[in-house]
Amino acid sequence: MSSKVENTGVIAERADHGVTHVAVSLCSFQPVQNDLLCNVVMVKKNLKFVFGPCALQALDLVDQRSVTCLSSPSGRKAFQVMGGSGRLYTCFVSCHYCPCPAFAYTVLRRNEGLLCKHILAAYLCQAMGVTQQESVSDQQMSMLLSGTATP
Amino acid sequence: MSQTDLKTDLTASPPPQTTCSALVVGDHSVSSSVLLLAAVTAASQLGMKVMFFTQTQIQSLPASVQKCAPSLSPECLKKIKFSYPRTVEELLQQIASLHESTNTSPTPPSLIIVDRLESFLCGPGGGSHSGFHPGEQSCAAHLSALLCDTAAFLTQVLEQRSTSSGPCRVIASFQSEVDTRQVSGEPSATDPILDVLDRYFQVRCTLDQDRGYEAAAAGLQQVWHIYLSGRGITGGSCAKDCEDRTGLAQEWQLMIFPNDLMEFKLV
Repeated sequence: MSSKVENTGVIAERADHGVTHVAVSLCSFQPVQNDLLCNVVMVKKNLKFVFGPCALQALDLVDQRSVTCLSSPSGRKAFQVMGGSGRLYTCFVSCHYCPCPAFAYTVLRRNEGLLCKHILAAYLCQAMGVTQQESVSDQQMSMLLSGTATP
Repeated sequence: MSQTDLKTDLTASPPPQTTCSALVVGDHSVSSSVLLLAAVTAASQLGMKVMFFTQTQIQSLPASVQKCAPSLSPECLKKIKFSYPRTVEELLQQIASLHESTNTSPTPPSLIIVDRLESFLCGPGGGSHSGFHPGEQSCAAHLSALLCDTAAFLTQVLEQRSTSSGPCRVIASFQSEVDTRQVSGEPSATDPILDVLDRYFQVRCTLDQDRGYEAAAAGLQQVWHIYLSGRGITGGSCAKDCEDRTGLAQEWQLMIFPNDLMEFKLV
């Protein structure tokens, strides 16, 4: 288990688009102690309760620092998440969409999930302040948002 | 540093509040006119810059729309930029590029309209619901999410420039080939594309034709019932634009006369 995360709290807010937005607040980075370790276990349990199996997969992506916040000169932003297979997925900052097969099948087709691991990882990284930062041109941003950029 | 301080600093802020978005569902012969009327009204009466996306070239405003806006000036029409993407890929590219300076200068659009989503989403063969392709749901979600995210960004730009034209709104039309009305004793059919669109559009504006004999007896060409539904009616996203939400109208009757005149009547 990571020795970095402790004393976390999970706040669930009412959803947009039928999806629950989760705000994860972190306190300081401290060496793991027994009581703090219990808090971490509780947070992971809460995340799994709300988001299902993708919660642990998302935490793995967070540990791997897989999320990059792209920004362009116009001020437009997007998330880019490195999946387990090494493929890059572009996600929006203000609403839920991911081009991955899991989002298409589990969320859209079967309505069995709230979001995929990539979207959840983006929210968690943003909350924890561990998002990578990268600048792209306005034209590159347009290509990424439209899905026409070369992966 | 105290734990409380760091908790305040690192608490994730929720995503920016989504903008007002509405999906007009019904026969495209009427929805297209309604969308054009919305564009003309926004440009002429509200001074908004409008982006209007459609596959069909518009040579001139339909007579029904001209009659509703008799004092429309060429200057007002210049506020509406028409774009004719041929495919859903072109549509995605054009919407994705709305953040670029060529589209936000001198003023960014505050109304984005997409006419006949089904013509972009359901392929060249028209409705493909009998042979449903899962990729169509993902495409519908991508397009809808891009519209919402783009509108959210443009809303921020409008607010930063202290304009009175914000927030940026999205209106799209969609005609389903699935009859989702429930027949007694039978479960109502669902349109998988419409299910996806409902995830992203806060308000559904349904156009339902009145096929009773009263319309013909009254000398009307067509009578339509228009009603609003969806979480945006009771949600808070559009609330700040409505001082009295309890008085927000939700149902109208649209009468189309033989001379193409459209008249809206509050129910």
